[in-house]
Amino acid sequence: MSLFDLSPAPKLPPHPRAASPAVISVQRLEKSFARREVLRGLDWTVPAGRVIGLLGRNGAGKTTLLRCLLGLSPIDGGEISLFGEPMTEPGGERMHRIGFVPQTFDLFPWMKVRAYLDFTAAFYSRWNKPLADRLIGDWQLDPKQKIGQLSQGQRQKLAIVRAIAPEPDLLVLDEPVASLDPQARRAFMAELLELMRGPDKTVIFSTHITADLERAEADIALLRDGQIQFTRPLAELRARLRRVVLTREGGWPHAPVVAGLLKTSVKGARAELLVEDPVPDSLQALATRESATVQIETPTLEDLFVELA
Amino acid sequence: MRAVWQLSLLLWRQMAVLVVLTGGLWLCGMGLLAWSVRGDTGLAGIGINVIVFGGWFWHVGQGQVLRGLCRPESFLLPGFRNRLAGAGALDLLLWAGLPAALAALCGVHYATLTAAGLLLVMAVGLASGTGKPVGLLIWAGFIAVIWKPQLAERVVDIALRSPWTPALLALAAMLALRLVFRPLLRIEDIEPDTSPLESTGLGRMRSRATEGRPARGAIAKRIQGWFDGTAQRAMERAMAAYRRHPGARQRMALIRSLLLPHDNPEAIALRMVLVAAIVAAYFFAILHRPHYNAAVIGAYAVLLSLSRFPQLGRGMLRMRPNLADLYLTLAPASRSEYQKTLVHALLLLVPVTVLSALAYTALGIVLVHATEPGRMLLTAAIVGAAASLVALAVHLIGPEGSFGRGVVNLVVVLGAMGSYWGGYVLLGLLGMELGGALLALVAISFGLGVWFAAQREYQRRTPCFDPPPA
Repeated sequence: MSLFDLSPAPKLPPHPRAASPAVISVQRLEKSFARREVLRGLDWTVPAGRVIGLLGRNGAGKTTLLRCLLGLSPIDGGEISLFGEPMTEPGGERMHRIGFVPQTFDLFPWMKVRAYLDFTAAFYSRWNKPLADRLIGDWQLDPKQKIGQLSQGQRQKLAIVRAIAPEPDLLVLDEPVASLDPQARRAFMAELLELMRGPDKTVIFSTHITADLERAEADIALLRDGQIQFTRPLAELRARLRRVVLTREGGWPHAPVVAGLLKTSVKGARAELLVEDPVPDSLQALATRESATVQIETPTLEDLFVELA
Repeated sequence: MRAVWQLSLLLWRQMAVLVVLTGGLWLCGMGLLAWSVRGDTGLAGIGINVIVFGGWFWHVGQGQVLRGLCRPESFLLPGFRNRLAGAGALDLLLWAGLPAALAALCGVHYATLTAAGLLLVMAVGLASGTGKPVGLLIWAGFIAVIWKPQLAERVVDIALRSPWTPALLALAAMLALRLVFRPLLRIEDIEPDTSPLESTGLGRMRSRATEGRPARGAIAKRIQGWFDGTAQRAMERAMAAYRRHPGARQRMALIRSLLLPHDNPEAIALRMVLVAAIVAAYFFAILHRPHYNAAVIGAYAVLLSLSRFPQLGRGMLRMRPNLADLYLTLAPASRSEYQKTLVHALLLLVPVTVLSALAYTALGIVLVHATEPGRMLLTAAIVGAAASLVALAVHLIGPEGSFGRGVVNLVVVLGAMGSYWGGYVLLGLLGMELGGALLALVAISFGLGVWFAAQREYQRRTPCFDPPPA
């Protein structure tokens, strides 16, 4: 059975790790905007204690999926369960266990940073004030400045502080580092990894910066065509996927076919194949048969994203 | 409890001046109520009315805060709804419970009625603050009192004696609160913001916190959709005309359709119909007052037409970051040329305002059967033209702060209304021709003077593309 099934149907079987208690369970989730289908019968299970990097092209529905998971966007069909309870609307004790960083932070522009954090802290049973104060200091946020006067990056930092301070069991981040400078991005990733040291802490974040996912050793979930195409640990992807480059001077009238082939692109003399569990001997035999040279490379996560998304 | 306290602090944090003023009214009202324990029932009545007055404005502010607060992300705060209910209970205690209890202690006869009435005032104030049309009920009440004062007096007299009145008022308050909170507590998808310079005529009293946010009610959404349709068609027409003949006039039409999406003929007509439907009831009521002066309608019409400009001032501030794109697209030879282009585009608002003032005046004239329609129309046209030139000028170069803008706007509106009355009297004294000529000479000269000075100053200034301060 292939790790990847890039056709819209049939669906992949559940992730093997899903046997551990699921933080999020989604079944047949459907969501449309003005008759444009964004999520099409999406099934997904997120086990506890993992960092999940949600990848997908622009407009794939990552933000919509994350908002639906938290009950921030009404769904058209299907079921979502969060911490074992149906997520019909945000509410209940489980909200103490959830942190969220939205893609754009535009709440309370008239409020000062300190007042906003005091306001938010008052709602949570657990609030790590020393952590919040340290991050405010480290990230050079002026507690007396109004939120509306902060830059987009500073607002993003504030949203991250606000989401991390309650020490949530589930942290959902929608492109959290898009507006951050490299220093802040690294600092954020360090905090994230520190947070993940706790037992059963789960993080889901959508991003286009694949280096961050590699740093966090995240599980990769790919959203395409309104469905989660796969969720796999990065190490497993690295171990099983290879880029095979076949070069032949006369070019390739037909794309070469090998076992475990996921994607092919032919450019002049070069045929680039993304192959799952390639067998070197079989590839060598193909190259000899076609009078070509063969080169087997380990693709980066960004290469994989470009090929698969 | 900390969260309830934090929620209660939001009004103070956003509108400190309002809290100070209405808090002062509350203290004053409570003091008067306490003083009335000596047996002065008149003092108790004044005290209750002062609290009603303060409570109304306090809850309009609370409504505006709620509209900004009740966004999907806020519902992720643990126990948000319960804590909001707690803050509501505290508010209820402050503005209805305590005054009613004090009134009962002081021996006021209608303590239950007072509590129910205060509850209704709170609910309708909240509705107004959140932009619900239920807030118009208060105006319907005023209109009814103006229209049939004797009948209103009898109704009040009967209501004061009926044991059902407190229950009915409380029921009405509950209904209003349900209308307020149901859409606010419903989680919906975020819709794209409207243009900062939109002008549907329905949202001019919105708070700055909610300006630019799309309408949430079904009727308001439908109306917004109509206006957006007209804007889209106007833009398509302007683009087609520019493609056919890429001249300066067509280019200006294109810029105007971008900057002022709801100031095309279709949208102007739609706005007039909507505003006319609302003000017609008021004009009709004026007609039935025992003593009324039909000429007042012209002053109101000018006032109504000028309400576009404060929103324009705020909209231009919010529009600034987007204008950078326009600047690059226009690629002007100099900064002042760009400023000049903007000024010329916005000048369209002067004829639109005059036309609106004339249309509303004409509507009033028809409804109240005014005896001197020509005099009213001529005065409204001249004063409307001068006042709109001044209003456009001061909102282009005036202060950026909301307080400064508010003061400037008040001066312009009061000046315009005073000018209308002065002009109307002048036309009565000197006749239509001579009076009209003199009024036009004075008012239009003043308007043009202010306008040219402001235009020069605006062109002299460097274009600013920074987002407005929070």
